[in-house]
Amino acid sequence: GIGGLPGLTPVKEAHAQPVRGETRVTKNICGQCPARCGIDVYTTAGRVHAIYGDLGNPIANGKLCPKGHLGTYFLYDPDRFKGPMKRTNPRKGRDEDPGFVPISWDEALDTIAARLNDLRDRGESFRFAHFYGRGWGASDAGLYGDFGKLYGTPNSAIGHASICAEGSKRAKQATDGNNSYNSYDYRNTNYILNFGAAFLEAFRPYNYLMQVWGHMRTKSPQTRVTTVDVRMNPTMAASDRAVYIKPATDGAMALAIAHVMLTEGLWDQEFVGDFRDGRNAFRAGRPIPRGSFEERWVRGIEEWWNDELKDRTPEWAESITTVPARTIVTVAREFGTTRPAMAIMERGPTSHTNGTYNGMAIHALNALSGCLFAEGGMYYQMGPSYGPLPVNSDDFMDDYAKEIRGKYPRIDKAGTAEWPMAGTMIQETAEHHLKGDPYKLDTAMFFYTNPIWTAPDPKVWEEALKDVFIIDTSPFPGETAMYADIIVPEPTYLERLQDSPTYPFEGWPMAALRVPAVDPIYDTKHFGDTLIEIGKRIKGPTGDFYKALDNVENVLRHRAKGFENDPGDNGVRDFESWKAKGVWYKKPYHWRQFRGEFYEWDGEGYNRQMTPEEVKEKLIKTPSGKFEFKSGFLEAHADYIQRELGVPARRVGLPQWVEPTSSGEGDLYFVTPKTPMHAEGRSGNIPHAIALMQPVAGGRTTVYLEIHPETARARGIRNGDRVRIRSNLGFVEAYCRYVASNRPDTLVMPMEHGHWAQGRWARGRLPGHSGEITENVSDPISGLASYYAGMVTVERA
Amino acid sequence: MAKWGMVIDLDKCTGCQACTTACSMENNTLPGENWQDVLYYHEGQYPSGQMKWLPRPCMQCENPSCVHVCPTRATYKDMDAGGIVFVDWNKCIGCKYCMIACPYGVRFYADEKPLLEPDLRAIFPGEGGQLWSPPYQNPEEDWRRGIGVQPHGVVSKCTFCYHRVSKAPPGTPDLDEDDPMLKEYVPACVRTCPPKARFFGDLDNPSSQVNRLIGDKHGVRLLDHTGNRPQVYYLGAGAGIPAFTPKTKS
Amino acid sequence: MSNEAVLQDAPRGGGMPILTLLIALIAIGLGVYTSLPLFSEGHAAFNTSSNVVWGLPVVAYVFLALSSTGLAMVSSLAMVFGWKDFYPIAKRCLWLAVTVLIAGFISLALELGHPFRMLWAIPLNLQIQSPLFWMGVWYLIALIFMIVKLALLHRDEWSTSRSRTVGIATFVSESLAAVTLALVFGMMAMRPYWYGSFVPVYFLVTAALSGVAFATLFAFFAHRLGTTSMSARMKHLMTDLMPKIFAALLGTVLVLAVARVITGLWSNQPEISLVTRHFVDSPWFHVQLWLGMVLPFILLLMPKLRVQPLIQVLASVLVLLGVFIGRYEYIVGGQLIPLWKGTWYPDLIAYTPSLTEWGIVIFGVGVGLLIYAVGTWMFRLDDAPADAR
Ligand SMILES: Nc1nc2c(c(=O)[nH]1)N[C@H]1C(S)=C(S)[C@@H](COP(=O)(O)OP(=O)(O)OC[C@H]3O[C@@H](n4cnc5c(=O)[nH]c(N)nc54)[C@H](O)[C@@H]3O)O[C@H]1N2
Ligand SMILES: Nc1nc2c(c(=O)[nH]1)N[C@H]1C(S)=C(S)[C@@H](COP(=O)(O)OP(=O)(O)OC[C@H]3O[C@@H](n4cnc5c(=O)[nH]c(N)nc54)[C@H](O)[C@@H]3O)O[C@H]1N2
Ligand code: SF4
Ligand code: SF4
Ligand code: SF4
Ligand code: SF4
Ligand code: SF4
Ligand SMILES: [Mo]
Repeated sequence: GIGGLPGLTPVKEAHAQPVRGETRVTKNICGQCPARCGIDVYTTAGRVHAIYGDLGNPIANGKLCPKGHLGTYFLYDPDRFKGPMKRTNPRKGRDEDPGFVPISWDEALDTIAARLNDLRDRGESFRFAHFYGRGWGASDAGLYGDFGKLYGTPNSAIGHASICAEGSKRAKQATDGNNSYNSYDYRNTNYILNFGAAFLEAFRPYNYLMQVWGHMRTKSPQTRVTTVDVRMNPTMAASDRAVYIKPATDGAMALAIAHVMLTEGLWDQEFVGDFRDGRNAFRAGRPIPRGSFEERWVRGIEEWWNDELKDRTPEWAESITTVPARTIVTVAREFGTTRPAMAIMERGPTSHTNGTYNGMAIHALNALSGCLFAEGGMYYQMGPSYGPLPVNSDDFMDDYAKEIRGKYPRIDKAGTAEWPMAGTMIQETAEHHLKGDPYKLDTAMFFYTNPIWTAPDPKVWEEALKDVFIIDTSPFPGETAMYADIIVPEPTYLERLQDSPTYPFEGWPMAALRVPAVDPIYDTKHFGDTLIEIGKRIKGPTGDFYKALDNVENVLRHRAKGFENDPGDNGVRDFESWKAKGVWYKKPYHWRQFRGEFYEWDGEGYNRQMTPEEVKEKLIKTPSGKFEFKSGFLEAHADYIQRELGVPARRVGLPQWVEPTSSGEGDLYFVTPKTPMHAEGRSGNIPHAIALMQPVAGGRTTVYLEIHPETARARGIRNGDRVRIRSNLGFVEAYCRYVASNRPDTLVMPMEHGHWAQGRWARGRLPGHSGEITENVSDPISGLASYYAGMVTVERA
Repeated sequence: MAKWGMVIDLDKCTGCQACTTACSMENNTLPGENWQDVLYYHEGQYPSGQMKWLPRPCMQCENPSCVHVCPTRATYKDMDAGGIVFVDWNKCIGCKYCMIACPYGVRFYADEKPLLEPDLRAIFPGEGGQLWSPPYQNPEEDWRRGIGVQPHGVVSKCTFCYHRVSKAPPGTPDLDEDDPMLKEYVPACVRTCPPKARFFGDLDNPSSQVNRLIGDKHGVRLLDHTGNRPQVYYLGAGAGIPAFTPKTKS
Repeated sequence: MSNEAVLQDAPRGGGMPILTLLIALIAIGLGVYTSLPLFSEGHAAFNTSSNVVWGLPVVAYVFLALSSTGLAMVSSLAMVFGWKDFYPIAKRCLWLAVTVLIAGFISLALELGHPFRMLWAIPLNLQIQSPLFWMGVWYLIALIFMIVKLALLHRDEWSTSRSRTVGIATFVSESLAAVTLALVFGMMAMRPYWYGSFVPVYFLVTAALSGVAFATLFAFFAHRLGTTSMSARMKHLMTDLMPKIFAALLGTVLVLAVARVITGLWSNQPEISLVTRHFVDSPWFHVQLWLGMVLPFILLLMPKLRVQPLIQVLASVLVLLGVFIGRYEYIVGGQLIPLWKGTWYPDLIAYTPSLTEWGIVIFGVGVGLLIYAVGTWMFRLDDAPADAR
């Protein structure tokens, strides 16, 4: 029992002297979200007992977000997989017990390799696919490319970006030519116009964003923040101005802001250019004369204005967005008159069918404010100075590998005529497999992704994966793992040696390292090592390649050799010092736009002025080498866009207003954001996280469906009722709470619970999983699943 | 001896609860036993809704009502420990009167129904008289000051992380987590606070940063009318909690 | 049949001891059985929490402890204030005061985290600032004095000076105990529902009421719910004086209770008004008001009715029920508004006692009854000084 009559049980009075052993601090990086905060892991007598931010890590700076501290829980989670296992129950499904039985690593690896060799012998190696979500670096996801090339599959690997945040990347690719998230110089900015990025809950790197928030809000001048969202959240609450917008209409607001900036002459002339005669001819509804505007680092402003922007008045935008025209004008003036000022975005405006166009309109504001590559503005992330691998995969391609290369499309058809601009389309996989179009998968290996739960309409995945041989690598019993035929579990991030170049951060290069705090406490293997071990067992030169790679540590030692010639600011110059410090980084960012001129760092200062050619090569990577208000990238796919989005082919390049399409026939928008406690696929089974799931209306044991009282009353729903949220796909149930500070037309339910696996605390916890009523609809350009485009109804359960 | 005080700047606080989780892992509290808690308040209506929050550790009151009521002196204010209010787990009889008497609701009797099932206490059963023994237990322990995993039948509360703070070099005016020499002595919640909304230092030292902040930014103590005189000060707008209103039923 | 004969016939300490014993044993059995989870789960078997920290066992303790004070008051009417008419029930009330106090202590002790530690931790640390400390001191002193007094009475020392002194000490310590118990709550400025200097008065008056109700109930119980076995003096007391005093006290309490509800509802302070409203909306409130106060008050006002033993017994039972609900409302009420919880607890805290909590109370009451039953056997509880028989 856990109790016993208290006080009747004698308690010895010891407990006065701390039991102290040697405490060891190892460097690592948190693994619960993509922020990659450096952590100090405290281990005493073989037990990890504390995690704090690493003071020497430029993202963490000694701090952590609420999840970081709970990391020890990952390590000691009683529900972890304890070693390799195989399935004994051939039937797969939610209610099927897989009947896992322990096997040896050799049996596991041999089984997988035999299967893969067999496929290769049959010329069907393309029917093997790798899927991954949170890949970290050269020692894991970084190994995929070579594997696909040598083994012979186009499906190595299918990343999860298209269920993540591809929209903002594609918007940037379309306008400034960088298929990437931005890096930001928040420290020096004076204005942030935030469209649907949960700055104080999720947006990356969350921990650092909060640190810089503390700085921005106390520096002089204080950074002013306007946040545009569809619901009340901490970011809205803490901003200077909270603008509630109708879902999916951010593009309209951004266009109207651009309209005001142009008509009122608030654009940055040094970056954008000016009218030849110096007189502002932008007037609402009136085109500007051909050739009257002399562009500097932009292209297409004339067409953009004449064909789109001139009519995008604040009044027009109000009719689309429900944001008062007055507010739009005020925001535009603030944004246009403050420097540096940046417009940021993430999944809010982009997780809709018109996501890329929304994103382009938003990003266009950054061109107008001239913040691109400027101090207090936005950059792109540089990569670390890694050394090469000990062997070059090109030298190990056998005839089979050469022959099959490029012969088959990917299972998700990303990059095919169906999704020509998408880099990955993981959410299509299940349906493609079911239809056998382009083919049926045979074997699939999952690393850090759980699409059987996180993808939109996951029930299709539940159906599809039944006849696929599944290999899962997670340390935890996720839903996808429940479909596995073989489990080759990883140790948790505290037990792994793993590199991790930074996600876009401040631009200058950085690469962190995970150093195991303890030896793996169970019989587990790093995914990179598992992959290398499988590779060694593939027949032919492939096996030789992996024998040469040998193991993850060897890979990392070779990567670290690159630091010898380029030591980090903290003195990291080899593998050992990297391990000791946990991070290599090298400031500053190499480029700087200053008053319309671009300069490159020469070792001492931004002294070397760049030519337009250099700018095109290194910074603005569009066909024109300019920021394109008329996107060459999109124009190359004009017919596709006209077909899919109904935008006339001749104007597909313009950042413009495109009506969103909602999925479902409901009358309410359904938004399923992340909370600060949400740790990707894992918080659902972490007791402390479950108990602290606020500031949304949640916490203690669940999260609630947030509903505006008027909306609820109109449907006879009382505060706290159990409700049913219904879309075309079915319904999920939740307890509701009245939240009067949300939009009446929008329901909010954090993506968190409703797991049918994941461990004892997660299983079956209400509310149901939002994904189950999220239709698989995507933005045709970016391929990003339109998570926030669903329309639902709600009723009392 | 120093008089330890904490300052929380609500203009910087993002309501993230890192302080809460840092505390719960440092001090091995159970889910819901939030020695440090962040309280949220929704107010107003769309389109001018508000959301507010308030992080709340124990106030380590100068005139602590919890101490006055404790029949066994198990709860005591230790002037030799910077004025921290402790619970002596070897003396506490679990009458819970201190919980009744604390105006800030910061004390816990963890011998209660588990907030979350399955019960962690059953999964990591207590050893050596402890209520539970998490595998990640902090090796620091001092039951006379309520530090460690609590035994059955006693009350627990924030200790201002005395096991850390007490190791700071004497005379340190401020325990600044950004100072590599001091970071290990800083209370967990202060050390981790990402926007640096929390400060910890000596209220008796006129030149400490906590005193400067209290002076410059008009620090206030919450519920000052109770006379408890907290050693925790708040800065910025929103220091105060709205009067309780029950939830609208329908 | 002469009164003497009746007196001879009557069992020495009062009627139905076997029945009392039986009820006591059943209560103990039931109590032990339902509070078993306490031994396996500890206080997790309670529905109390860090929000409602004092639940049913504390309610029962306060109810019983104050009843003890009330009973001590009733017995003091004769033994301290020299109101000889009350001698016939003085000894019984004294013994009852002892037993209900012990019952209360049991309930409280099982609610504590460390009941045994209390035995040394409180005396060794002497926290004289704590009302809880003084409450313990006074009730302990009272208990000792009551037992001494009982021993003296048993030796027929009804009015020797030392007996008188001990009687006064009993009365004073019991009253002080009730007052400090009131202060345990009344001094908590952070709990507005409890706060106020009026609380000691309220506690004393309601204590007296429950004391009279207990006295009436057990007096009649000892006489097989009738007056036939009573001495003439006792009969006079029980059919004339007692019910009048009962009525007067009940009337006073009724006025105070209604005043409290009205001020509570009128108050702007959520801690007071919301809680009052919460209770007024609950059926228990109406049981308390109409069944527990108004109905017995009417019964006791009617001269024809109030002389009837069964009516008095009924009134006593109803009043005790009412007082108990009142204690529950008061003690739980001070804790229902979540203290600094924000949206973690968006509403009043829900609390209903668990079975284990009831078990502890029933166990305590059972033990009390058992002790009482033993007393009825051994102590001639109907005894009175010769001139007052
Ligand atoms: N705490 C936490 N942080 C994380 C992660 C995590 O799991 N947990 N995961 C990381 C990952 S993988 C990602 S991709 C990022 C995502 O980071 P974000 O994109 O910032 O996060 P989301 O919660 O998906 O959505 C952001 C906001 O969009 C709003 N929104 C929805 N529809 C609209 C709309 O039409 N317009 C506007 N303006 N807003 C809208 C939502 O209300 C929400 O507040 O977060 C990363 N950070
Ligand atoms: N409704 C709704 N749906 C969403 C979102 C939303 O906001 N709302 N967010 C979307 C976004 S932005 C994203 S990025 C996706 C994320 O979706 P996924 O790519 O599926 O990622 P996770 O849900 O984080 O799942 C990670 C899996 O990795 C496993 N895992 C955890 N730790 C480890 C480890 O150390 N090693 C290995 N090998 N495995 C591990 C976990 O058990 C889990 O099964 O979800 C998307 N889905
Ligand atoms: S932001 Fe939080 S969850 Fe993400 S890596 Fe950093 S500490 Fe971990
Ligand atoms: S850690 Fe800091 S910012 Fe976060 S809730 Fe606590 S006090 Fe506020
Ligand atoms: S806040 Fe409460 S527990 Fe802390 S010292 Fe003050 S009265 Fe005591
Ligand atoms: S519960 Fe413990 S610390 Fe609190 S008043 Fe009682 S004995 Fe003192
Ligand atoms: S000072 Fe320490 S014990 Fe107190 S709230 Fe902060 S972390 Fe918790
Ligand atoms: Mo994502």
